[in-house]
Amino acid sequence: MAQVIIGQILNGIILGSLYGIVALGVTMTFGITGIVNFALGQFMMIGGYAAWYFTDRAMLPFPIAGVLAILIAAFAGLIADRGLFRFTRNNLVNGLLVSIGLISVVECVALLLFTTTPKNMDFVIPGSWTIGAITLPRMKVATFLLLLAVIGLTWWGLARTWLGRATRAYAQNPEAAMLMGVQTEVLQTGVVVYSCALAGLGGALYAGLFSLEPSMGSLFILKGVEAAILAGVGNLLGALAGGLILGVTESVGSLYLPTAFRDAYGLVFLVAILLFRPAGLFGGPK
Amino acid sequence: MKPLLFLLPLYFVPLFSGNEVVLTILIFTFLLGILAIGFNIVFGGAGQLTMFHAAAFGIGGYATYLSMQAFGVSFWLGHVVAIAIVTVLSILVGWICFKFRLKEFYFAVVTMAFAELTRLVVLNWTSVTNGTLGLLVLDKPTLWLPGMQLVRIEGTLPWYYLTLTSLSGVVLFSLLLMRSWIGRNLSAIRLNEDLAQTLGVNTFRHKLFAFTVSNIVASFAGALYGFYTGYVEPAYLAVSQSLDAIAMTLLGGVSSTLGPLVGSFILTSLPHLIELSAEVRIGIYGAILILVILVMPRGVVGLFQGRRHVS
Repeated sequence: MAQVIIGQILNGIILGSLYGIVALGVTMTFGITGIVNFALGQFMMIGGYAAWYFTDRAMLPFPIAGVLAILIAAFAGLIADRGLFRFTRNNLVNGLLVSIGLISVVECVALLLFTTTPKNMDFVIPGSWTIGAITLPRMKVATFLLLLAVIGLTWWGLARTWLGRATRAYAQNPEAAMLMGVQTEVLQTGVVVYSCALAGLGGALYAGLFSLEPSMGSLFILKGVEAAILAGVGNLLGALAGGLILGVTESVGSLYLPTAFRDAYGLVFLVAILLFRPAGLFGGPK
Repeated sequence: MKPLLFLLPLYFVPLFSGNEVVLTILIFTFLLGILAIGFNIVFGGAGQLTMFHAAAFGIGGYATYLSMQAFGVSFWLGHVVAIAIVTVLSILVGWICFKFRLKEFYFAVVTMAFAELTRLVVLNWTSVTNGTLGLLVLDKPTLWLPGMQLVRIEGTLPWYYLTLTSLSGVVLFSLLLMRSWIGRNLSAIRLNEDLAQTLGVNTFRHKLFAFTVSNIVASFAGALYGFYTGYVEPAYLAVSQSLDAIAMTLLGGVSSTLGPLVGSFILTSLPHLIELSAEVRIGIYGAILILVILVMPRGVVGLFQGRRHVS
């Protein structure tokens, strides 16, 4: 039994880190620019399909395919920001509705291009490590470490570099930041594009582990929003922790409680957090 | 009372066109219009973006049918049971949300979470709800009409008049509510909640009231919808159902009672006018939504109102 539990915890960690990368995007766009991008899950799907196409069809090595996938997702994000999201800044309802429109359009294109048949590809890094009775597929470990590194670097970049300081200043007071010489328009677009690139990376890694379907985006955005709120919107490292908590609870929870309610744990968590700790698990008192 | 005048010509449509397709599209317009108007009581009225109306819509369908089966009562009495359930749930959810002062994004997320939880319960309570398959609703509502005794509402034409009359009733109710002192207090909350509170408006009670009433209207739409289509399924409670109503309201215009109706008409009839595959249709629907939000933020009705101030 212990073996099964540990196995589920590890699965939960992998899934949770994927939730975390989406949550990071949600937290950054909403916390910094005030834009609500609920279509991030679809950017993840774009990244996933791009990675699958370049490895499985164009026969490129996976790292190159991954970079291309990130670039494509980032470019899609650039178009979406310039064309749509910059008009919805600080307007939740419009942002939500524009995202919904975008979700339908992107899913429609994906359905036409790739149909509903799930797309699989081989594990890029085959084999696994065995520790005692536990097997660790190498690809999963690599995925987790990569996501961990990216989230860590993002946090470091925001906390320590000049650009990060400018970004935080912008989040607090856009006008004051502009007066101090921050190019706010560029910065805002940059944050949205970066979050889409992150989602693209998540999608590429997801494609390496699981099978792709055009409808995968909705699940991830829901979990991403849950994880971001769990940690407190604006908390970058918390987004990863939120994702991990969510992933592990779901995986372990489904061992003991009916699996049908797997998606309910996150929701119950979410409501409880918002009611009793509105600033998030790791936030100070509001 | 202008929206009621717009509804008047619709009573004469069947005299000129017996076309089943036209009437069916209009029936769906009316049904979803009731849902959208219900949603707009709390969104257009009090400015709270709720995502719970799909849950109320679904419960309306399920509870009405199940209580008809369980107690052997008529549609209307069955719907009273549904209203009771929806009222209790709304007060519970609304009390939690408003007591903890959840606003905007967080209110939307928490009501969506509660709606999803409700959907999961309906989906997994297989012994009662028959899970994903849903239930076939073979009963029909009955009405007592003078001179005709009890009439079963069957066929397109009776349904057309039943749904149109129900819609007119809901429109009238919504208009009266918005013009009453309650409606004015709700407007005050929408425009500036802190100020409204300072001026002595009990914001908690008003929001809770609007939320509950809105959900009851949504449950009415759900009950009629389930009995018209002949089945109820968990998809009635899905987030996408909430989003449809929101899209209709926004497309038509938030600031008037007519808005949700116009939006419901456009979004219900458009897919039937253009022959397209299901996937492309959803894509076009999304594109329309984006264009409307960015190009005409006050909705279709707003285009015709010019710059006049709308209460």
